[in-house]
Amino acid sequence: MIIRGVFSMSIVNRLKSLFKGDKEESDVNNDVSNTSDDVQVTSSKKVSVNISKGEKEVSIEKTETVTESGDKTVDLTFKKDIKPVEDEAAEEAVEDSSEEIVEEVEVAEETEAPVEVEEVAEETETVDEDEDAPEEDVEEVEEKTNDKERDKMTLLTDKELLTDANRDPDFTAEFIDAGIETVQHCFQCGTCSGSCPSGRRTPYKVRQIVRKCLLGLKEEVITDDALWMCTTCYTCQERCLRSVKIVEIIKKARNIAAHAGYMAKPHKMTGVFVMNTGHGVPINDATKALRTKIGLSEIPPTTHAFPEALAEVQKICKITGFDELIGYDEETGGLKE
Amino acid sequence: MEIAYFLGCIMNNRYPGVEKATRKLFEALDIELKDMEGASCCPAPGVFGSFDEETWATIAARNLTIAEDMGADIMTECNGCFGSLFECNHMLKESEEKKAEINANLAEIGREYKGTINVKHFAQILRDDVGFEKLASLIEKPLDLNVAVHYGCHFLKPTQTIGIEEQAENPSILDDLVEITGAKSVDYKDKMMCCGAGGGLRSRDLDVTTSFTKEKLDHMTEAGVDAIVNVCPFCHLQFDQGQVEVNEKYGTDFALPVFHLAQLYGLAMGLSPEELTFDAQRIDATPAIKKALGE
Repeated sequence: MIIRGVFSMSIVNRLKSLFKGDKEESDVNNDVSNTSDDVQVTSSKKVSVNISKGEKEVSIEKTETVTESGDKTVDLTFKKDIKPVEDEAAEEAVEDSSEEIVEEVEVAEETEAPVEVEEVAEETETVDEDEDAPEEDVEEVEEKTNDKERDKMTLLTDKELLTDANRDPDFTAEFIDAGIETVQHCFQCGTCSGSCPSGRRTPYKVRQIVRKCLLGLKEEVITDDALWMCTTCYTCQERCLRSVKIVEIIKKARNIAAHAGYMAKPHKMTGVFVMNTGHGVPINDATKALRTKIGLSEIPPTTHAFPEALAEVQKICKITGFDELIGYDEETGGLKE
Repeated sequence: MEIAYFLGCIMNNRYPGVEKATRKLFEALDIELKDMEGASCCPAPGVFGSFDEETWATIAARNLTIAEDMGADIMTECNGCFGSLFECNHMLKESEEKKAEINANLAEIGREYKGTINVKHFAQILRDDVGFEKLASLIEKPLDLNVAVHYGCHFLKPTQTIGIEEQAENPSILDDLVEITGAKSVDYKDKMMCCGAGGGLRSRDLDVTTSFTKEKLDHMTEAGVDAIVNVCPFCHLQFDQGQVEVNEKYGTDFALPVFHLAQLYGLAMGLSPEELTFDAQRIDATPAIKKALGE
């Protein structure tokens, strides 16, 4: 336990020094492909180490943590929960608990499993090369992780490993071209997921999505229903230590998903309402009566009252192709289908 | 002072009492609210912003041009509308490239975005342009009410661009504005948490949205408040209509009436509950109003 404490403290110090300086250094993750390769290898190691340690007490503790937070979501049902990778649950569980622990590293050192410490050390190291901080701890940790015996214990099968074939560099480039260069600044600390009110009750893992966007795992990102579980509350972005424009990343990923045909019907219908009336929530008879009763104009002075203004909105939707994007049927004023 | 008054959708088309209270309040403040004739949906950030940024920005910029033609800054009292209009205005002012792209679309409907106005939130105008002192002079009878203030998300965040509060996670603007009416803002757990409706979640997955709202209602109820105060008609709808949905889904009996800040001021200025259309809201506000007015 003493050794663990030493590890943790050195990591905390190193993380702190990272946060204090270097915030604006963008060379950290400049080489996208290199970084991603590192991460792929690392992630497989993470799992193997965890299993081989076989520390039952720790595992049980972690399971309980997951269950507790899961209680709140008992009643939730998801209309269509597409999992990006089959049998990913185990990996996700490990990653989840590690996120919690990274966040609580200062207060909960004693309950930490060495696995998480190693993970932090490794991740820190990748962005840490130019720092003068002592390296002994990290080297020691690396020796452990390189243990070949443990590598054989991995839960991952070959077909679950990600290779360059899984990656679509054009996907990553779309974020950078859209001015969201900060996607490259993410060092996966997990503050976003730890802050996310949606992640507490849905399969939405914002840290993971940001990573997948940087790696170029397009299909995994855009086919995942969880992408739409974000309320765009900005808590993640407010707290992000690297000032990553996380909500912009999510919205951009949604744009790409929508253009690939992943759109929910209720969302398309909001588009239909705007195209038909200029309003996402159009007026109804009850509100007309209410407005009159309290001395307001029966119809508000919006597109509702100005047909030529509505025509402008409709024309915009045609110019940008929004009508075709959602499958708007001009004849029926509804959706084609 | 003149302001271009952006109505949006939910306030004017569902909760007109908020609009009524706002018009009365600004009349008393001697600030002219000019109608933005032909304005549309902001458009809804959760759908348009998530589906196609170009469409979202073009429709938002069209709304901005209406105010530019009037030569007045925009006021909105909806966080969603504020988010869309402020963000689009900011983006087009910052990027010549985006501005050219959007203006190419607007040219086809005979409009041009110039970047000559600002987008302001109702509460921001009350604090910065009107001032607490002047507001206090309008209060006829201080309200005796304990409220849970709900800030919502797109009012203060992202802090970096909006800057209404230096620390969006520890703000005071709404608490201060509420307390001028005599009501007391009661702190509660996870006060800054989202209501759950935004980002297109309410229309796509009501169960998840309801789960957010229940958590907020639990914490507000634990704090022992009489009512919820918000500055966003979408949050307003989520706490009003959504509260009924929470009660149905979870078998709970939450009964926290929902006030938009404008309605709270309306009540303190002597407007009747009917004028504020409380009678059309799903959660009965009568007990809270009686307590507030000392009846």
